[in-house]
Amino acid sequence: MVDKIFYFIMVPMVYLAFAWCAVGIMWKVVSILRLPKQTHTLKIFPEKSAAGLRATIEAFTMPSVRRHQPVLWFFLGVFHLGILGLILSHLDLLPQINLVSAESKHMLGNGAIGVAVTVSVLYFLLRRFRTPIREISVPADYLILFLLFLIFITGDTISWANSWNPDGFVLTKQDFGAYLNSLVHFTFTNPRDLLTGSHYVVIVIHVLLANLLLLALPFSKIMHTFFAVPLNRLRRV
Amino acid sequence: MSDIAVAKILDLKGLPCPMPVVKMSQEIGSVQVGEVIEVHTTDPGSLSDFPAWASTAGQEVLTSEQNNGVIKIFVKRLV
Amino acid sequence: MDETRKQELIKTLSSRLNQAMRMYLDNCTRCGTCIEACHAYASEPDIKYSPVGRAQNIRRLYEKYFKGAGKLAPWLSEAIEFDDAVMKKVYDTAYTCTGCRRCVTYCPFGIDTQQIQSLAKQLLIVADMEPKVLSMLADMSIAKGKNIDKTKGSFATAVSNLETEVLERWRSEAGAKAVPLDVQDANVLYIALAGKHSIIPAASIMNAAKEKWSLSYFEAVNFGAFVGNPQKTKEIADRIIQEATRLNVKEVVICECGTAYRVMKYMTGEHPFKVISFIELIARYLQEGRIKLDKAKLQGRKVTYHDPCQLARNGGVYEEPRYILSHLTDDFVEMTPTREDNWCCGGGGGLVAMGEKDFRMKSAKVKVDQFTATGAQVLSTACENCHTQLSDLSEHYKTGVKVEYLSDLVSKALVQE
Repeated sequence: MVDKIFYFIMVPMVYLAFAWCAVGIMWKVVSILRLPKQTHTLKIFPEKSAAGLRATIEAFTMPSVRRHQPVLWFFLGVFHLGILGLILSHLDLLPQINLVSAESKHMLGNGAIGVAVTVSVLYFLLRRFRTPIREISVPADYLILFLLFLIFITGDTISWANSWNPDGFVLTKQDFGAYLNSLVHFTFTNPRDLLTGSHYVVIVIHVLLANLLLLALPFSKIMHTFFAVPLNRLRRV
Repeated sequence: MSDIAVAKILDLKGLPCPMPVVKMSQEIGSVQVGEVIEVHTTDPGSLSDFPAWASTAGQEVLTSEQNNGVIKIFVKRLV
Repeated sequence: MDETRKQELIKTLSSRLNQAMRMYLDNCTRCGTCIEACHAYASEPDIKYSPVGRAQNIRRLYEKYFKGAGKLAPWLSEAIEFDDAVMKKVYDTAYTCTGCRRCVTYCPFGIDTQQIQSLAKQLLIVADMEPKVLSMLADMSIAKGKNIDKTKGSFATAVSNLETEVLERWRSEAGAKAVPLDVQDANVLYIALAGKHSIIPAASIMNAAKEKWSLSYFEAVNFGAFVGNPQKTKEIADRIIQEATRLNVKEVVICECGTAYRVMKYMTGEHPFKVISFIELIARYLQEGRIKLDKAKLQGRKVTYHDPCQLARNGGVYEEPRYILSHLTDDFVEMTPTREDNWCCGGGGGLVAMGEKDFRMKSAKVKVDQFTATGAQVLSTACENCHTQLSDLSEHYKTGVKVEYLSDLVSKALVQE
């Protein structure tokens, strides 16, 4: 029974979560595009040159946060670059993509990216327990950060656990690559046959939590990923 | 227009926008229905503002007069 | 609250959900960067005076009626339904915010609290909870537009009675009208306020520049915008647009009133005439050498300048007032912070018209600290609302600082050759 549940989490649920997330994002974006446009300008003055480009740069670099909340800005930078790094390092697991050497046993970043995002998300979470951020926070704010924290901490555990055996790696980049490769080729192979480490249960929990994140994402404030640039354009263009 | 019986005189000279009309709307309740408030102001705009206000508030501007830069407006409370 | 009212409120909320509003309501991450942007919070640290605190009152309603998660699990986002207690919070959103948009410059997304505030104001109208004084003023402006022909005569008499005071500041050529009305094909249609203090300085300056100008029959301020009623905002602006079109003027020049300027310039669509602020016109006269100013008038007094939010951060008029001041004094000092970072005076959004003295005084403490720190004796500004609020602040906190309109300083310093 447990095997069946683990298989469901590791294969069918991953497909469901990705499909749900993709459809959800598209639905959300389209539903906003179909609404009437703003009729009068919402610009802030003085006007800036190359306003469109500037708005895009501001969306990615958050200069107002750097100015007013430098510590928050530092962790926001670490976190967002870390997320980008994690997406790349997971893609790099695939045998077709080699950002680091195909023979390397480590993921891109040797686990450091995971630690960086864990610390950042912990900072985001803890600052929500303090006034005045506590007073503007809603349960969803804590839950999404807690979910991210759990995903990161299980990811860190997997990274660390891979070298538990004094003789070398229990599971390597290549083993995870084989699992992801089976997913992208829809082979429906039982991942247990590819990932033989004794910490398999941690991997299942990591994937389960990531699935939950994908399911929740279109309805969460993580959607700011897709609206940060258009929002910044309203202020500049 | 000194033959109009005035219940109250309001001195609204030199007030910033939009205080003359605001004060008028607040003070109209302080006289009885049928009584008249005499408003003193220096705002040229009051000559259009007060009748417009009266028409929306159901009150009546009886008349106005201008002397030495002071505008007097006579407002009768109807409701 | 009965069901019909609730449905009307939901319908109103829905009618405001355009692309910008949906993005504003969906994407706030509650990072809190905006909190300290607000003068009210900086003066009185209570979360209900923070931009995000105000926005949350509306966002929670939006979550309840327009988001699946808010319907299925309202506890997640603390989604709430319309009721009488909630409407009191909506009132806080609408009328503890001056619409200065300083927080827009803090938010990493640029979420516009003034848009959310104006939505809150519209909800209050539907709930019959808006400040009645603002509705009354908006209705008065509309009624004035409809009946203007009946009062044109007495207005013209009052305006001609201002002649002596205008001539005291600038002696025009004999025969020229000191305050002209109904001038066809004028270069400038000047839109004043009801008070003579917004007519006399402007008239003397435009006469000194030998401008072909005309005074409007209407007041510049748009109370429809203050009360958050889009229909009334349009009707009030249309009176001026029609007058300007009838007279075929080149430029509509808005007196020192920030809201009037922003509404006419940026919120009423395209016009067959140009819209500028009176401050821009004065700067142009100086640049073209059409007027000259005497610095002796302000000799011995240090001068600072308050950028009205609607004129500067929300209107782009930053350089012109400073250029004018450079012709008025050699002893000018900037406030800190300044320009787009300047603190709001705390009187916008209709608060001055509503009275609200206690709140205005306590929520703008930070403004008092800012202008007293300059050591200036004269605080100049270019907005009626700001002028009233800053004067009240100066008196309330006994700062001894004299608040002056820029146009008044200019007209008193005109050099007659």
